[in-house]
Amino acid sequence: MPLYGTLDITQDPKRLPTVVNLDTEAWSLPKAEMMQLLIEVPRTSTDGLLPKAMHPALPSYVIAAFTRYPESPVGAFNLAVLRLGSRAGAHPRGFLLGALASTEAAATELRNRWGLPVEHGEVKFVRRHDRVMGTAKKAGKTVLECALVDPQPVAGTDVQYINWVTAANAPLDGQTAPLLIQVDPKYTFYKAERGKPQVSAFDAAAWNAGNIQLADPIVGTCCTVDTDLPRIRFVMDPLKPVFQGTRRIRESRADE
Amino acid sequence: MRFGLFYEISIPRPWTPEREREVYNNCLEQVKLADQLGFSNVWAVEHHFLEEYSHCSAPELFLTACAMVTKNIRVGHGIVVCVPEFNHPIKIAEKTATLDILSGGRLEVGTGRSATWTELGGFRANPDTTKKSWDEFVRCLPKMWTQETFAYQGEFWSMPERTILPKPYQKPHPPMWVAVTSPGTEIDAADRGMGSLGLSFAGYAEQEKKIKEYRRRIQLCEPVGAFVNEQVATTNFLFCHEDEKVGVETGKRLGNTFNYLATQLISTREVFSSPSYQSLGLLPALRRAATGPDASEQQTEGMAYGDPARIIRAIKHWESLGVDCVNFILNANETIPQEQVMASLRLFAKEVMPVFAKQPANVAAAE
Repeated sequence: MPLYGTLDITQDPKRLPTVVNLDTEAWSLPKAEMMQLLIEVPRTSTDGLLPKAMHPALPSYVIAAFTRYPESPVGAFNLAVLRLGSRAGAHPRGFLLGALASTEAAATELRNRWGLPVEHGEVKFVRRHDRVMGTAKKAGKTVLECALVDPQPVAGTDVQYINWVTAANAPLDGQTAPLLIQVDPKYTFYKAERGKPQVSAFDAAAWNAGNIQLADPIVGTCCTVDTDLPRIRFVMDPLKPVFQGTRRIRESRADE
Repeated sequence: MRFGLFYEISIPRPWTPEREREVYNNCLEQVKLADQLGFSNVWAVEHHFLEEYSHCSAPELFLTACAMVTKNIRVGHGIVVCVPEFNHPIKIAEKTATLDILSGGRLEVGTGRSATWTELGGFRANPDTTKKSWDEFVRCLPKMWTQETFAYQGEFWSMPERTILPKPYQKPHPPMWVAVTSPGTEIDAADRGMGSLGLSFAGYAEQEKKIKEYRRRIQLCEPVGAFVNEQVATTNFLFCHEDEKVGVETGKRLGNTFNYLATQLISTREVFSSPSYQSLGLLPALRRAATGPDASEQQTEGMAYGDPARIIRAIKHWESLGVDCVNFILNANETIPQEQVMASLRLFAKEVMPVFAKQPANVAAAE
């Protein structure tokens, strides 16, 4: 059967964000601009980064995303995220390795409400006509500098965003313990572009990404979307295959 | 109604040399028996880099081996990838003609364009252009097979005038098919006068819709070959057992294992946004079905597992929808022991095939 991840997130729970409760209210995030770059990485460089419950994507790839959220309950902010392509059972997922938010308030709320491993940093999202650029700095040091080069229009229906999985401590059945949490935003597309990914600086350690080396660029997209951070619906036992260890917290999203 | 076998050649880890050889030998043993039992076709996929799911990257070699150990069963590329980075069209024409000669005119040529990023990215092929290159290839192949000399200048490949040799044994040329997974590909097949080689496990309603559209469109087709190959084939799982419960449970295990492996594949759409891959192909249905390799629940509509009576009911339904041939996947990751696969084939030939056959199955000869 398919390979499994080898990371035991229960061994170092202090490293994980802690969710205050699993009844997090949804955030509506209109007119967000999302640049997403997909890049293949050597399989050996992802060893130890994926929880035991999940399957690795083959070939291994990462998703580097910069998003400009002009409206949110904590005001405008930029977010940079690095996810590892993977599978939760039969479903494609992006496992969050690390993230930086441009405001302290956003970083705190995203950690506390959804368990996203977000730190406060400097995150810039710059749109030019020949490229869209993202820069992330942590304590003054550039940890990711990348671009979508030569964006060309495509249809929103050409673009697929996969759902996220994050590792966090969360209260369930009277105790707070490490869990995997599915975060599954929705997207309504206004504009979509496709281009070539280009990375000029990347510090894997700053993204909790071990010794991941960026190898073959796949493709990049930049889309304007209405999106959200929804209520948490599924949590998963981090040590059991997700088809055995998934628990539904609520039946459906509030808007379904 | 005709019956065939469909091979992905799924091999579980660890991949020792003996393990891969054992699975290939099991497949050849099944094909040999199927030939004796009166099955009409054996199809083999062309897949690359798809760990465990399919180790069938050189189907022409496997199919040649099949042809060498059988007498009547037709051997089919299901499919040959018509993308220049994978296969040069001259080589496709030459290799298929050679296989047709070696098999004594038993070749079927399925065509397609690959659906996974794992494969397209592995060959550094551009997903945007695979439909176009496929279209070019399938229009060239019949000419390369039938014309004394051939020259070509196209968008994806070209060649000066040469004589492409050998020529196929079948005249004018082997039947041509299209792999149909994404919605709308059945129209591509019909418009070109090619057979519809269904590779998905959709339920009756969806298949009926596709078949109706295919039959409607093919009446006014402009065939790419020298003749119209109006045929509809579907893919199914087969496990036939005297005890319905054992048959269904084993068949579900086979289906769940296959589906779970399939859902691990990286579809092109998952990572490469392209207007050429708007559909996820067969993956959404598989993901709905594949709750896990040990799951007890799985869609069973139309599945050919259970006891003979149950399987006959399912196949009669497919027949009523206009299906000409059902191709069976017999195993996945060797989840069913070889002796049980062989027993299932024999029971199917004995109890099910006669219900659909113009000629009775030759069960006695195979026992």
